[in-house]
Amino acid sequence: MTGKRITLQQAAEIIKDGSSLTFSGFTIWRRPFALVFELIRQGRKGLHLIEVNGGPQTEFLVGAGCVDIWESCWVGHELYGKYGANLSRKVGNKEIIVEDYSHAEMMFRFAAAASGAPYAATQTSLGTDLHNPEYDMLGRAGLRDGERIPKHKYVFTEDPFYGAGKQVLVPAAKVDVAVMCVQQVGEEGTVRVNGQFYSDPEAARAADITIVMAEEIVPEEYLRRESDRNTIASFEVDYILECPFGAHPTGMFGRYDVDGAFLKDFYGRTRTQEGFDDFAKEWIHGQDHHSYLEKLGWPRMLNLKANTALNYSTGVKRGQ
Amino acid sequence: MERNYATPEEYGLPDLLCCAASREVKDNEIVFAGTGLPMVAIMLAQKTHAPNLKLIFEAGTLDGRPPQIPTSVGDARCEMGASRSSGLHDAFSVAQRGYVDLGFLGGAEVDEYGNVNTTCIGNYLEPELRLTGSGGNPDINSFARRTVFIMVHEKRRFTEQVSYITSPGWKVKKWPEGTLVHRKELYGSAYRGGPSAVISTAGVFRFDDETGRIYLDTCHRGNTPEQIREMCQFDLDISRVSGETLPPTREELHFIHSVLDPEQIFIPKVKQKG
Repeated sequence: MTGKRITLQQAAEIIKDGSSLTFSGFTIWRRPFALVFELIRQGRKGLHLIEVNGGPQTEFLVGAGCVDIWESCWVGHELYGKYGANLSRKVGNKEIIVEDYSHAEMMFRFAAAASGAPYAATQTSLGTDLHNPEYDMLGRAGLRDGERIPKHKYVFTEDPFYGAGKQVLVPAAKVDVAVMCVQQVGEEGTVRVNGQFYSDPEAARAADITIVMAEEIVPEEYLRRESDRNTIASFEVDYILECPFGAHPTGMFGRYDVDGAFLKDFYGRTRTQEGFDDFAKEWIHGQDHHSYLEKLGWPRMLNLKANTALNYSTGVKRGQ
Repeated sequence: MERNYATPEEYGLPDLLCCAASREVKDNEIVFAGTGLPMVAIMLAQKTHAPNLKLIFEAGTLDGRPPQIPTSVGDARCEMGASRSSGLHDAFSVAQRGYVDLGFLGGAEVDEYGNVNTTCIGNYLEPELRLTGSGGNPDINSFARRTVFIMVHEKRRFTEQVSYITSPGWKVKKWPEGTLVHRKELYGSAYRGGPSAVISTAGVFRFDDETGRIYLDTCHRGNTPEQIREMCQFDLDISRVSGETLPPTREELHFIHSVLDPEQIFIPKVKQKG
């Protein structure tokens, strides 16, 4: 034992009111939901989400009033809800500050932070309102302290090396805590992600503290037999915990599919704050991870279970 | 070989859009596709006239050959048969490096220069409705040699000025001043092209090489050029209409409904009468 192992409750306690936070996964895949629910139960406030892209986890935290600032590029539930209704409502009511970037810009911002660079240079999104100086929302709110929040949203420069023209410098995405939700982690923290790893390696490395929630904790020695299959090195991970079905209602490659019906229900019911509160009362408050799974029930979970040869579920009805 | 076109009763508007989009793809191209109808269109091209196209999905699969339509670009099905399964840094680096020939995107609003909005409706600082946000829309539209948009056609969506320029068209804003310039001027050596077509639920639109302005190319069955002009807030050029959008062939319909999307995730089947 290395002492990295903690409980779900302890993991949530590491994330303080006002922490900046990022997650593994992509839109409706491999989001650390068990911990997102626990943060809501613990009533966390003032979170600053910095995400390569948002998804249901954003919508749950925003709906529950845990989030003050959201920096990202996209939020929705893909096929199961076309936009983030909770974020949209809170933006309209000015209850949340949104800082918009493009997807590639967010990715390059994380890559910069992950390599210890203060910024990245890119040419994407030139000419768009993403670069409209009027729309620097953190600047407007007077929050650009040059510490955790960069002094500028962007800086334009001319390529000083090859004369390639106008460049956009985007600040590194410095994050307090990254929470990953993956298939396997070793006892010392080595992570093996199966399937697309999205922006997980960069997100884990960009954060000061990295917590890994895995479907299973496996012997470290097992993962080290084939290190070329591993995604994140042991020392980049600070805490680990085992949490089967921890990504539900999002999907996990090779383990279980997205629970589209659950997300559709969430999207439909949470367009109003009353709807969200009602949903949270039913599914989050007064539960823990095990009672949540019991409430879902085995038939539903077995239907989501992935076929091990195909890596997705053949039982889920996807279309009309 | 004579093409076996379907009769009007045999297909619906989503079929027509999918086939029109599919025909924008050339063989051997590297294509970057978003979730939904674009995916079906590209995979249809792969099954018909472009067997050697290379698919890139934003979430991180390079040259995948999914036998079944994925539900999203993050789906486990994306990586079936892929050359490499990786992450977003790879996918966007490949795009910025200049490998991508064609991007397929959607949008909520478009203006006459092909600027697209997917961020909000109304004033950005006081929005009526917040949409999904940029996602990879501006990135693909910045870096692909050409981009095709698939959109619902409503007068309020074909607008003189989009609420927010999420994705760059042919004439874009040069910040910090915000003056309108041709994208070539702004992108320097990163300039590769721009929006090449908009396939709406009313017709197919293209852009003038010189002015960057949109014009109507073909009308979908049941729409006249004049009607389509009425469905735009800007003064649509209808002087270059080449005719009606070609209907799907029976072979294309077979691939869409029996091979690619039998579950009707993105494309509903037309109910045959009696």
